[in-house]
Amino acid sequence: MTDSEKLVKLKELLLSEDRDFALQILQKLESIESTLNEEQLLAQKVNPIINKKLDTFTEEIPSKLGPTITEALKIQIRDSQEKVVEALFPIIGKMVKKYIQQEMRNLSDNINSQVQNTFSVKKWKRKIKSLFTGISEENIILSEMVKPKVNQIFIIEKDSGLLIANVSKDEENIDKDMIAGMLTAIKAFVEDAFTKEEQSLELIQYELYNIYIQNLSSYYVAVVISGSFNSGFKEELEDKIFDFASKHKKEKLIENSKVINKLIESLFND
Amino acid sequence: MINSKKIVLVGHFGVGKTSIVRRYVSNIFTTDYKVTIGVHIFKKEIEVNNNKLTFVIWDLEGKDDIEKVRVSHLLGTSGFIYIVDPTRNTTYVNIESEVGYLKSNYPKAKLLTVANKVDLIDKEAFLKDVSFPIDFFTSAKTGDNVEEIFNKMGLIFLKDL
Repeated sequence: MTDSEKLVKLKELLLSEDRDFALQILQKLESIESTLNEEQLLAQKVNPIINKKLDTFTEEIPSKLGPTITEALKIQIRDSQEKVVEALFPIIGKMVKKYIQQEMRNLSDNINSQVQNTFSVKKWKRKIKSLFTGISEENIILSEMVKPKVNQIFIIEKDSGLLIANVSKDEENIDKDMIAGMLTAIKAFVEDAFTKEEQSLELIQYELYNIYIQNLSSYYVAVVISGSFNSGFKEELEDKIFDFASKHKKEKLIENSKVINKLIESLFND
Repeated sequence: MINSKKIVLVGHFGVGKTSIVRRYVSNIFTTDYKVTIGVHIFKKEIEVNNNKLTFVIWDLEGKDDIEKVRVSHLLGTSGFIYIVDPTRNTTYVNIESEVGYLKSNYPKAKLLTVANKVDLIDKEAFLKDVSFPIDFFTSAKTGDNVEEIFNKMGLIFLKDL
């Protein structure tokens, strides 16, 4: 074996392992390069990770980003009120318009049904009323539509707030005894807090309803009214309640609440 | 004939009036303390010795002086439940005069005294410290003796019917 052959042999012995290793690295690099360059292969690897992250992100949006978004919206609305109004106005405007149109349609239907009912006694009464008062029939119909109506009546013991009797036109979910108690507590609070002399709470208003309260000696009457509550109706109600109170003392009411319920019903029915 | 009775819970703030009534009416207890403002009204229908009774329970806001309680809330009461907290001496140090005030101003009303939070105290030590008889030792937390107060009140009412 010549010197050069020996040298080749020595190189082979020394470098063969390194060469194999370098070859393996080269193969791995090629594989990674092909994964990175080929969309489908890359997608197979990366998509599950992204999907998992997205799921976590979606779950965490309300807790992590909610306060930031709310704060950002607040600032945005405060700093550019006009722009916000401009953006919201058409949407809210349309909603209001639609609601009013619907209500007008309902009103018109109601008026038509009343006018078309030619055989009704009420119609003739209206015609005569219109003739004598000079108020148009349409206006009389309109006033009848918003006429106040008694929905519920409570007769409540003044001091204890215990319910003596109750009549309701609608099926209510709230407990009547608790309503009586709370009404008494509210009444007591208002009377203690805001009145210097002997005065009492007379009216509670909430949205479409009024609660008219009439104090009597040992009990009070609370009447829940829908529609337009006016002074004429109030006087009418007052007279009826006083008339009722003069006939029925508290002791009698407590003793015979079933009979009293029937009595109240007949008194306040229109 | 209505068998409704107004029961009023009185006592200093934080003695557990609301906890007792909530345990009695809804059988719940929470550790988060929310102070009562004004009054809360609860209702419970019970049967005592085959007689049906309706309790309308007024849970008043706590006051360190009974005379500061709104008189309109006390009027017409059939039964008072005076509650103290044995872990706080200030809630029962004036119990005698406070109960005396209720008895003299509302002579027709029945009255029961209650020491709540009994799960947190040494009962014997408390009894040495308190100068007035206590009718019930309760724990709104565990529910111990809570129903018994109202049953007893019902029995007392029945005697008068």
